[in-house]
Amino acid sequence: MHWINWAIVAVYLTIVVFDGLRRTRGTTNIEGYFLANRSLPWWAVGLSVMATQLSAITLIGTTGQGATDGLRFIQFYFGLPIAMVILGVTIVPFLHGAKVFTAYEFLEKRFDAKTRSLTSFLFLLSRGMSCGTIMAAPSVVLSAIFGWDITWCVALIGIPTVIYTVLGGVQAVTWADVKQMFVIVGALTAIVVVLIMRMPVPLDNALEIAGATGRLRVFDFSFNLSETYTFWSGILGGTFLMLSYFGTDQSQVQRYLAAKSVSEARSSLLMSAYWKIPLQALILLIGVLVFLFYTFTPAPMLYNPQHSAQVQQKEPATFAALEERYSSAIAKRELAARRASAELSDGVDMTSSSALFDFRSADSSVNVVRKDALAAAGRVTGEASRDVNYIIPRFVLDHLPLGFAGVFLAAVLAAAMSSIAAELNSLSTATVVDFYQRWFRKEGSDAHFLFVSKTATAIWGVFACVVAVYAANLGSLIEVVNRFGSFFYGSILGVFILAMLPRTKALGAFVGLLSGMAAVAAVSFGVPSVSFLWHNVIGAVVVVAVGTVLSVGGGRMEEPRTP
Amino acid sequence: MPTPFRTTLWRVLLMQLVALMLLGLLQGRYDLVAAP
Repeated sequence: MHWINWAIVAVYLTIVVFDGLRRTRGTTNIEGYFLANRSLPWWAVGLSVMATQLSAITLIGTTGQGATDGLRFIQFYFGLPIAMVILGVTIVPFLHGAKVFTAYEFLEKRFDAKTRSLTSFLFLLSRGMSCGTIMAAPSVVLSAIFGWDITWCVALIGIPTVIYTVLGGVQAVTWADVKQMFVIVGALTAIVVVLIMRMPVPLDNALEIAGATGRLRVFDFSFNLSETYTFWSGILGGTFLMLSYFGTDQSQVQRYLAAKSVSEARSSLLMSAYWKIPLQALILLIGVLVFLFYTFTPAPMLYNPQHSAQVQQKEPATFAALEERYSSAIAKRELAARRASAELSDGVDMTSSSALFDFRSADSSVNVVRKDALAAAGRVTGEASRDVNYIIPRFVLDHLPLGFAGVFLAAVLAAAMSSIAAELNSLSTATVVDFYQRWFRKEGSDAHFLFVSKTATAIWGVFACVVAVYAANLGSLIEVVNRFGSFFYGSILGVFILAMLPRTKALGAFVGLLSGMAAVAAVSFGVPSVSFLWHNVIGAVVVVAVGTVLSVGGGRMEEPRTP
Repeated sequence: MPTPFRTTLWRVLLMQLVALMLLGLLQGRYDLVAAP
């Protein structure tokens, strides 16, 4: 990569870290460190909420998914605006009004200490691991692209993030998120402009060509529980997932607890309600445009350069045969695409353009060769291919004008850092407030708790970096933790719903939580074909049902304590 | 004066509807779903 691109990345990192250091001033207690003394404006919190959700793998993986699979992934977000509105009138006023540091603290005010500790512990367990994996994913891609050791890639992302999060607390996290969102949206917009300008055929024809492969199909109205991305799973399952994520996950809850007022907290969530679907559509559309770009420009057979080199080295005959088939297939596809564009420009309707149907079958042939190449890569390397994550980075580095690669790399780092910083900040809050302060040391000076909070953030940061470096070896362990995490996401939402219902009791909430997790585990193992989006619905419904029945039936249970 | 919640709700739903409609138009215009 050219030095100018590296200079852009260096300027970005310097600004983020120095601004974080500047934010250390004036923070004297943990309310300032974790919640900015509840003083942040809605727009900054809103951008922080969006930046936290948008990780590096969204930026590189989802764009890649757009290139291979089209726009249908957007259905996943259809429940988000609904969830934001529901949260605005339910959990947000409860949590903000209760003046809590963590969402789980509210559960003790409403139920009891064991429900708070269990939910907070589950959060620490799943987010602690996921923080490492969201750092590992872009590090693996950078490592393969630049040929660096994974440790250096983790250090590039992890060290600046840990420095500004430890020193600046939530102030640094939020204001860095604001800048990072501008970098991300700026980079995405620049890439779209370049892609449109470089399209060798008129844009309308190009989109018709992409439409011939089904990549512009957004809606799937089939009611199929095993299909992850359908309209119904997005609207119903997506709503429950987003309710769980934005309503009960401390990494998001802490963003809006730092807002000035309930009204500002609501407005910050509504920013996502308005802008998440358009932003996600833009990200997926970039993928579709990159697919079109590579239709008219020779595309690599394998986008992961390390996998490609290993197949070539270890199975040269197989590689050569695949390359020959691939070159012939992409040449035929390009020819068909150019003929289709010419026919469309001549006024031929897309449904009667024979070249467009030729293009569709040529694209299927390319996909068959790619599938064989990916299988060879999997066999040779012993790793899952994840080739989709390399499409956009390769395109940016190989084809964008000077400077763009630097902006894109800064955007990838921004996306990774914004998610990691918010998670470290929230992991530290839950550790200090829900465990250290609750169980070990209730009284202490502001300076003491501030020191403990910074130390906890640093320890979580080092833990995340270590998990990221060893992510490849910890693969199966991380999978177990992620799967375990999916068991309780919807169930924790169920506990919060119970907390807002009148006359529900602590034992009902605790037993309900365990029942919900057991039910999701049973469905997950017993009927593995059911998509994970439905797990949250099942978990939440079981918790509310069991919790309500136990609360009504158990006359000897303790009375609820209202906040 | 803060916007009443019902107004906000209608705005969000309207925005959602507009987004879905635009995506529907995109699909309707370019998806070759009807072809054999």
